[in-house]
Amino acid sequence: MTDNAFVLLQAAADTTRAYGEFPVIGARQFVWITAELHLMFAAFVLGVPMFAVVTEAIGIFGGDDRYDRLSKEFTRLLLVAYSATAIWGALLVFGLSTLYPRFWAYLTAIFAPSMWVYAGLFFVESFTLYLYYYGWDRWKKGRAKLGHWTLGILLNVWGTTVMFIANSWLTYMMSPPRDITPTTDPTSIKLWHAIANATWMPINVHRVIANVVFGGAIVGAYASYRFLAATSDEERAHYDWMGYVGNFIAMSALIVLPFAGYWLGREIYQYDQSMGITMMGGFMSWLWVIQAFLIAVLFLTGNYYLWIGMGRIPGAERFRPYTKYLLMVLVLGAIVWGTPHTMIADSKELAAMGGSHHPFLGALGVMSAKNTAVNLMILTTFLSFLLYRRANTRPVVPWAKSGTIIQGAMFALAAGVVLFYGIRGYFVEAIVRIGFSVYQVLAVLSCIVFVTLIDILMTRGAQSLGAIQWGKMPPRSQYALFILAVTFTWLMGLMGFARSGIRQYWHVWQVMQDTSKYAATPALGYASKMISLCVLIFLTLVAFVFWLGGLAEKSTFVPLTPGASPGTRGASHVGH
Amino acid sequence: MWATNLKVVAIVLGTLALYTLIANKIPQVQSEVPQTLTLGANVTPEQLVAAGEKVFNGIGGCTTCHGLGTRAPNLLTDEKGAGTIGARCGKREAGKSCKQYLYESLDNPTAYVVAGYQPIMPVMTKQLSPEQIWSVIAFLESQGGTIDVTGDDIAKAKQLTPGASPGNSGGSTGGGAFAGGSTDPKAIIQAAGCLACHKLDGQGQVIAPDLTHVGSRRDAESIRKKILDPMSSIAKGYEKLAGIMPKTFGSMMTASQLEALAQFLAAHK
Repeated sequence: MTDNAFVLLQAAADTTRAYGEFPVIGARQFVWITAELHLMFAAFVLGVPMFAVVTEAIGIFGGDDRYDRLSKEFTRLLLVAYSATAIWGALLVFGLSTLYPRFWAYLTAIFAPSMWVYAGLFFVESFTLYLYYYGWDRWKKGRAKLGHWTLGILLNVWGTTVMFIANSWLTYMMSPPRDITPTTDPTSIKLWHAIANATWMPINVHRVIANVVFGGAIVGAYASYRFLAATSDEERAHYDWMGYVGNFIAMSALIVLPFAGYWLGREIYQYDQSMGITMMGGFMSWLWVIQAFLIAVLFLTGNYYLWIGMGRIPGAERFRPYTKYLLMVLVLGAIVWGTPHTMIADSKELAAMGGSHHPFLGALGVMSAKNTAVNLMILTTFLSFLLYRRANTRPVVPWAKSGTIIQGAMFALAAGVVLFYGIRGYFVEAIVRIGFSVYQVLAVLSCIVFVTLIDILMTRGAQSLGAIQWGKMPPRSQYALFILAVTFTWLMGLMGFARSGIRQYWHVWQVMQDTSKYAATPALGYASKMISLCVLIFLTLVAFVFWLGGLAEKSTFVPLTPGASPGTRGASHVGH
Repeated sequence: MWATNLKVVAIVLGTLALYTLIANKIPQVQSEVPQTLTLGANVTPEQLVAAGEKVFNGIGGCTTCHGLGTRAPNLLTDEKGAGTIGARCGKREAGKSCKQYLYESLDNPTAYVVAGYQPIMPVMTKQLSPEQIWSVIAFLESQGGTIDVTGDDIAKAKQLTPGASPGNSGGSTGGGAFAGGSTDPKAIIQAAGCLACHKLDGQGQVIAPDLTHVGSRRDAESIRKKILDPMSSIAKGYEKLAGIMPKTFGSMMTASQLEALAQFLAAHK
C-alpha cells in the first residue's frame, strides 16, 4: 500500500471520533491559546532562573550585593509564574486529549515514558525552586551560599531538561525520522530514535538562547515599570540599573540568536527541501518580512535605549557624534533585510512588477544582501555596547592607543569580510553562496570575541571619568524597554506560528495527516490576531504576577516603617 | 500613577495593534489542504481559470522555474515584446493553435524549446490529472488570450488515459511509466525532468551533481540504488541539497526502464 493511499484511508477512517470541538472559539483556537501561553510562561520560568543564577553568581564572585538582591527579587516572581505555567500546561494536555484524541494517542504511544519523566522533573524542579527561594536568607554566607547557588544551577538543569523533553515531541511532529511512514506502528518506534530527530537539537539550542533573551526582556520591562512608579531617587537608580542589566542580557543573547536560527533553518532544508521552500519561499514568505520588521524594531529600540543611557554617563559625550552613523547603518540594514524577494504574487502583481522580482529592489532581497545587512547590524549593535562600556573610562595601559587601533582594524576587517562575501555571493552558484554565510558569521563572532577581550584587558585600572548616574534617565527610555518586551514576546508567537505552520495540514509531517476542519493553515493576518491576543493575555497575567510580588513585598516591609511616607517606604524594600 | 499606567497600557496596546495591522495589510495567503479537483462537462471558463491558477501556483510547481525568471520563460509577463503567454502561445509554432501548443508543452516539452532555454521541463501529463492539465492551459490562455478549453477536452483526455486518477494531488503516479514505457534512456531522462537539476553532456542545470562523468564515480548498482533511494548516499559538496531529489522515481518507471537508465549513466565514464 502506498503512503498516499494510506493517508486517504486514514482520512476515511475519521468517522471514528478523531476530533472534538470546543465551544465558541473552536478546538484549534483553544489549543493554540493554551499552547502559546504555556510556552510563554515556560520561557519565563526558564529564562528568569538563567538570569537569576547569573546575577547571583556576579553577586557572590564580584562582591556586589545589589546583584544578589536583584536575583532574589526575581526568584520571588517565579513562584507564582510556576503555577501559571502548570495551569496552562494542564489546560493544553486536557485540550489535546479531548479535542485531538487520535493524534494525542499517537504521540503518547511513542513518547509515554518521556512524559512520565517530564512530569517527575517538573515536580523536582518546583521543590528545587522552593528550596532556592525560601533558603535564600538562611544560606547567605560562605560555603552555604555556594550551596544555595548550586540549587540555582540545578533549577536551570531541571528546567532545561524539561524543555528538551517537550521539544522532542514538537520536533518529532516537524521532522519524524525518515524511516517512519504512515504505516509504521507507533508502538514499534524506539523512543530515542523519535527524540533525536533532525530538528531537535537546533530547536533546543535556539530556545535556550531565546529564553535568555526573553528573560532579560521581561526583567527589563518589570524594572522599567518600577522605575516609572518609583517615588525616590534611590529606588529610581536601582530600577534604572536593573533595566540596564535586563536589556544588556537580552541584547547580548539576541546577537547570537540569528546564528542559531540559521542552523535550525539549514536543518529544516536538509531534512526536507519542500518544507524549507514552504517556509522561505512558499505561503509563509511574507512572514519573514514581518519578522525583519520586528527585528529592526528590536535592534533600533535596543540601541536607542543604549544611546539615551549614555546621557547619564560622564564622558559619553565624546561618542555621541557617532550615534547618527550607527543609526544610519541600522536603518539601511533593516531596509535591506525587509526587502521581499521570492514572494507568492498573483498575475497582476507580477505584471505590475515586470517579473517575479522587482527590477532594482529584487537584487537587495536575496540572501547575499540580507546576510550582509544583518551581520552589519550585529556589528553596529556591538559597537554601541562598546561605546557605552567605554563611555566613562579612559584606559591607562601604555598600549591603549595601539589597542584601540587594533580594535578598529578588527571592526573594519569583519565589516570587510562581510561585505566581500556579500558581493561575491552574487557571482557564484547557490551551493557556494550558502557557504559564504559561514565566513560572514565567523568574521562577526571573532570580532566580538577578540575586541571584547582586548577591551577587558585595556580597561583594567582605567581612569574613571565619573560614576554612572543611575536613575537619571528620561521616561521615554523606559517605554523603549516596554516596546522591547512586547516585541520579543510577539516575535516568539510569530516564530512559533512559522515553526508549527510549515507542517501545513500534517499533525506529523507526512506521517499523520490533519483531517479536521481546521487542517488548513491560516494566513498571517489571522495568525497575527491570535498572536496579539496571546501576548495580551500573557502580559496581563505577568502584570498580575508582578502586582502579587509587590503585595508580598509591602506586607513584609510596611509594618517595619509604620510612620514612613510612601517615599521612604519605597526606599526600604527588598529590591534595594 | 494612573497616568503612568495608562501610558504603559497604551504603549503595549499600540505596539500590538501596529504589528497586527501590518500583518493584515500584507497579501493574505492561506495554506489549503489539497482537494480533489473535479470539473464536470459543464465547467465554465471562469471555473477552469480559477482552478488552473491554483494548480499553477501550487501543486503544479510551475512557478519554481516559470516564476523566477532565468530558468524558464516567465509566462505571466511580457517576453521580448511578444506579450504574456496567452498572447504569444498561438504564434510559437506554425500551424498550432494556442491550446495545441500549450498542451504539447505539457505533454511533450521537448517538441519545441524556446530559444535561449534548456530542455529541462518534465512531462507534466505524467504528474497532473487531466482536470489539472486542462485547467492550467485555460489559466495560461487567460493571460492575454482567449480561453477555448472546455469540459470536452477533459473528457477526451480521460478517455485517452483511463488510469489517470482525477485529482491526484501530485507526486506519485502510481506506477505509470515515463515516456510511454520506452526504454530509451534519453527519453526517460527527458520525461523524468532530470535535467532540471542535473547536467548531462552539456545540457541541463548545475543545481545537482553533473552526470556527464557519473560512471567514473558510481557503478550501475550504486546509480540504481541512488534513483530508488536518493538519500542512500549524498555526493560530496552537495550535502546541503540532500532531500531535494524526488523519492518517487523508483515507482514511476518500469524495472526495464530503471535498468536501462542505470546502465546508460554507468557508461558515462
